[in-house]
Amino acid sequence: MFKKFKIAALLASALVITAPVYAQDSMTEWLFSIDRMKGVKPVTDKRYAKECGDCHFAYQPGLLPGKSWKKLLAADALKNHFGENAELDPSTRDAILDYAVNNAAETSWYKRSRKIAVATEQGPAPLRITELHYISRVHQHIPEKMIKGNKEVKSLSMCNACHTEASKGVYDSDTVNIPNYPGYN
Amino acid sequence: MESGIKLKCTLAGLLMLTAANMAHAGDAALNLSLPAENKTASSFMLASNDTANLPLNVTSATPANEFKPAMFTGDKLHQYLGLTTIALVGLTAATAPDNSCETNCAAAGQQPRQTHGTHAQLAKAAGAMAIATVTSGLIDHWNDFHLEDGFRDPDNLHALLGATGALVMVYAINKSANSAVPTSHAGIAELGAALMVVAIKLTW
Repeated sequence: MFKKFKIAALLASALVITAPVYAQDSMTEWLFSIDRMKGVKPVTDKRYAKECGDCHFAYQPGLLPGKSWKKLLAADALKNHFGENAELDPSTRDAILDYAVNNAAETSWYKRSRKIAVATEQGPAPLRITELHYISRVHQHIPEKMIKGNKEVKSLSMCNACHTEASKGVYDSDTVNIPNYPGYN
Repeated sequence: MESGIKLKCTLAGLLMLTAANMAHAGDAALNLSLPAENKTASSFMLASNDTANLPLNVTSATPANEFKPAMFTGDKLHQYLGLTTIALVGLTAATAPDNSCETNCAAAGQQPRQTHGTHAQLAKAAGAMAIATVTSGLIDHWNDFHLEDGFRDPDNLHALLGATGALVMVYAINKSANSAVPTSHAGIAELGAALMVVAIKLTW
């Protein structure tokens, strides 16, 4: 009986110690959930989905740390958002920024967000998801013709061009389908 | 008799390895190079994949088809093997013989050991399945383990805890199987199973 208690205590300790130190309300949810949380948390905010998704794929906030979202969604930064003017009215910008920061990588228990959070803890805030070493590393083996030379992809930033379940926050290799190159994995 | 079981376990392991390899029978070779070697090439590739450099006359290689996820992949095999291992561990624990005695303990202690009973067989199957799980993980997720990411990286933790858990379980099974008298091994086996459960949860 005592031995089983020790095992249970060890199991609980290991879970707490090995998880990232960002204590969030969702830890209990993650701990007892049997749902898969392997990717990133899907976008749940309609305003965020609309304002961002009108121009490009609405990247999940869990793909970048909060410090990156603060830089990206600063009022001045939006005037030149990767070459485009993406200015928003103050209340919309505040709402989107709050949502992004509150759901950033370091606040999430989803696996890929935890990887990104650990990797970006130190150093400057990355401004592009493709700048993350983890992201560039897992894509480095893909031949250039399949991205740049592929008229249905064009850029690594077009996540949903190949990740068929990107909108659900699922980025597993099993769900990848590179347009014009069926079967490549 | 015992060597026959070992042979069966080895055969089962080999079959699983073969099955795991079938899932990787593609043209792409495993990238075994160190991450540092690829950093420069990677940045060039990322840069050249930028939309600004996109040529105007790109053409499709083959017509696009509707995507249907593969029914059987290396990733799924690894997942199913891991879950089966945990299920077998549960069955092994549930079939553990009750060694406690209230009266006539001396006689109970002199009874021959059940080294080929249900509990022992399930334990051996769980051990073999654990090794198969680790092996399929090594094959399918070789490129997800990077020491440079540190030990707090979920994939690194998953690999380390999973492999350690499997080894601890196999040690406990071996300890009991090779002992002429009943030996305490439940705690060690449970520790190994717990490590594997934590490993699964971290990347679930």
